[in-house]
Amino acid sequence: MSSELTEIKTFIQATNPLDLLPEPILEKLIKQVQICYVRCDETLPPQGITDPSLYVIRKGTLSVIKNNQELIEKLAEGDICSVFCSQDAVSNTLVKADEDTLIYAISFSSLLEICVEHPHVGAFFTKPAAERLSDQVSKINEQEVVSSTLMNRSIGDFFSSPAVTIEETTSLQSAAMIMTERNFSSLLIIRDKALVGIVTDKDFRCRGLAKGLTLSAPVSDIMTADVQMIDVNASAYEALIKMNSRGIHHLPVSRKGQLAGMVTITDLMRQESLSSVNVSSMIAKAKDVTELSHISDLLPKLQVSMAKLGTSASSVGKTMSAIADAFTCKLIELAKAHLGDEPVPFVWVSAGSQARQEQMVSSDQDNALIIDDSLQEQHRPWFTQLAQFVCDGLAQCGYPYCPGDVMASNQKWRQTQAVWHKYFTQWIDKPDPKALMHCSIFFDMRSVYGKESLLEDVRQKMLKKTQGNTLFLAHLSANAIKLRPPLGFFRDFVLTDNGKHKNTLDLKHNGIAPVVDLARIYALSEGIEEVNTLKRLTQAMGTSSLTQGSGKSLFSAFEFLTMSKVKHQAKQLLEGEETDCFISPNALSKLDREHLKDAFKVIKEMQSVRQTTYG
Amino acid sequence: MLFQRWFGLNAVRERQCKKAPEGPLKSFLSVPFPEPQTPIKEVELLALDFETTGLNSKKDHILSVGCTPIHHGIICLADSLHTVVNHNIELERENVQIHQITDNEQAQGQSLERVIEQLLAQLAGKVMLVHFAHIERSFLQQACLQLYGVAPVFPIIDTLQIAKRRFDLSDTPYDPSRLRLANLRQEYGLPPHYEHNALNDAVASGELLLAQLSQLTQGRDTPLKKLLV
Repeated sequence: MSSELTEIKTFIQATNPLDLLPEPILEKLIKQVQICYVRCDETLPPQGITDPSLYVIRKGTLSVIKNNQELIEKLAEGDICSVFCSQDAVSNTLVKADEDTLIYAISFSSLLEICVEHPHVGAFFTKPAAERLSDQVSKINEQEVVSSTLMNRSIGDFFSSPAVTIEETTSLQSAAMIMTERNFSSLLIIRDKALVGIVTDKDFRCRGLAKGLTLSAPVSDIMTADVQMIDVNASAYEALIKMNSRGIHHLPVSRKGQLAGMVTITDLMRQESLSSVNVSSMIAKAKDVTELSHISDLLPKLQVSMAKLGTSASSVGKTMSAIADAFTCKLIELAKAHLGDEPVPFVWVSAGSQARQEQMVSSDQDNALIIDDSLQEQHRPWFTQLAQFVCDGLAQCGYPYCPGDVMASNQKWRQTQAVWHKYFTQWIDKPDPKALMHCSIFFDMRSVYGKESLLEDVRQKMLKKTQGNTLFLAHLSANAIKLRPPLGFFRDFVLTDNGKHKNTLDLKHNGIAPVVDLARIYALSEGIEEVNTLKRLTQAMGTSSLTQGSGKSLFSAFEFLTMSKVKHQAKQLLEGEETDCFISPNALSKLDREHLKDAFKVIKEMQSVRQTTYG
Repeated sequence: MLFQRWFGLNAVRERQCKKAPEGPLKSFLSVPFPEPQTPIKEVELLALDFETTGLNSKKDHILSVGCTPIHHGIICLADSLHTVVNHNIELERENVQIHQITDNEQAQGQSLERVIEQLLAQLAGKVMLVHFAHIERSFLQQACLQLYGVAPVFPIIDTLQIAKRRFDLSDTPYDPSRLRLANLRQEYGLPPHYEHNALNDAVASGELLLAQLSQLTQGRDTPLKKLLV
């Protein structure tokens, strides 16, 4: 009897974002439901419904079509159609039932009224995709802060124990001697075995010497009384908060109310950045390629732990790229120990994702050599051997050879600066498909080792040629928008542009790569030197290529897509699988699907802007 | 012939209206039933379900009433009604099991008189929509007889009858259990529903009618007379 309209409630409760509503509000909302049945091929809104409404699909499917022909999305059980939320904005949009469809309609004005204390619910339906996405990204970024390493470690894991204590009557000199002996920056003061205070290095200076106290004065004269303790089971994050709020750097640790040890701000800082810094210093210390390859075994673990700690995708990319740089530099040094110093200056450059600092575990290597024009024929073998050694070494360290042979070991990509100038000139002047492919690889280059000006000269000349070069940019744009993101999801399938269903989502080619391509085009048209996608977007914002608003939308889309990739790969790494970018829709939460759909929408919009600019 | 019978139904209503004592029943009978040739989409319906202690309206009782109006082919839950009837009787164990109505809940319900009064007010000018008309018709008539001394006529659409007519058209014999509400819903591609709760069953039969209409050649333009029992 308690179960009035049970299944309607259960059903509505499972839809996003109505699932966020508390029970009593939901009950009120259910009372507003109007159940309609739309026959196959009939259009929405259903006959008899005049108010602007939301339509929750209970059974059946709907297609949303724009401008008479362009399929925007397909909706199935549990999806919500928000096209008719407001009176306007539907003139060119048609929603039609693909089969007989049972729908729960909820008048939007009564929804807003009922959910007045939950404004995010109404806003969810009226906000444009881009805004919704950036909300989500900032929410995740907030989570990153609290879920960082400190949050997940309890003090018990790393505090120093036992705490060193002295009686309050101890003289300043003896106290200072104990601290020096033990290399401590603080001491705890006790009276009758009870904690009464703390002294730190600073107290000796400020309250002791500066005040002219004698060496025999008791330590109680300079101590801070009223000491805060923290329980051994508290998280490192709590300790940090406590220290920050009181402006202190030392916290005595208690276990079951008894003094057990001490934790310092230095201990906390060490926890936070331990792992990636460690790997880099291990690489620097390695003696040969075998040792390096052992170190590279740690990388999957490192990426997983970063993903689990909620590190943002761009930080993961930066860290993994920095580590790839460290491997490369170390390999070059090992080679030089063998081959002797370079006969003429050169720079080792990375291309592709490593250059953009967007690399993940097991990315292919993309690299090249730019050699000073003073190169003589007899110097060539030195560079050949260097390149071969480094590329082989990288392969041993888990960076597979580039399938397209874009590596310094390929003579074509191991050339003097003059040749590189010529390459770029050819590609830009004659943008055939192959040239465009090379452009997308070599426009993203970053110095890893050697004389950086060799690359910078090449880049400057290249940017001068591309900036305002409409014909070239048109070719590049046309090429870039060939990769179209899907429309979204339909039941457990990916719904592609042409209305077909696919079983998996290719996050790289259908989401990440299109943004990378767009950002590169903006950079080239505006003469921006930056290669990192997010930085390119930030710098291009507000130029004639990219408005502030669109820039921010693309930024959020890229962050969300790369974040999804990091999460997906962490799962694969944990299960010992090879990483890829293929996600099965049923592995995605309803919310993730919504946000991915928003990201696709943003990208498609920007692609069509490109198309109309240069089409 | 149907038309004549329908004409007769409205005539009976007028005759009964004169006989009925002042009160809820008279008010109900004073509102004309919809014209028989009206397209169904323009007819106001009230999807209705009773939970009862048994099948015999003379001996058994109405335990709870659930109903929800259907305007222009849309089921409006805002105006739905669900109420337990308090007869001050001890419920049998099997009834409690089926309907999940406990003695305690019964005690919090309303008197039969109060419930029928609300129901008749809702039903005025509307067509009753039920699944298996016999129960609701006989129990409602019995209650009216008991309360007001008159057993009124009701225009009724029965989703079971609509399905049965369709099955009877094909020559192949069918399992009568196919006519159960839950089974018919499945057959019409509707989702499962929570059975044996009067309001849920009323909504379920309302959805079933909408699905059935979509399969008729005239759809929502089907005249009312073609659907009445």
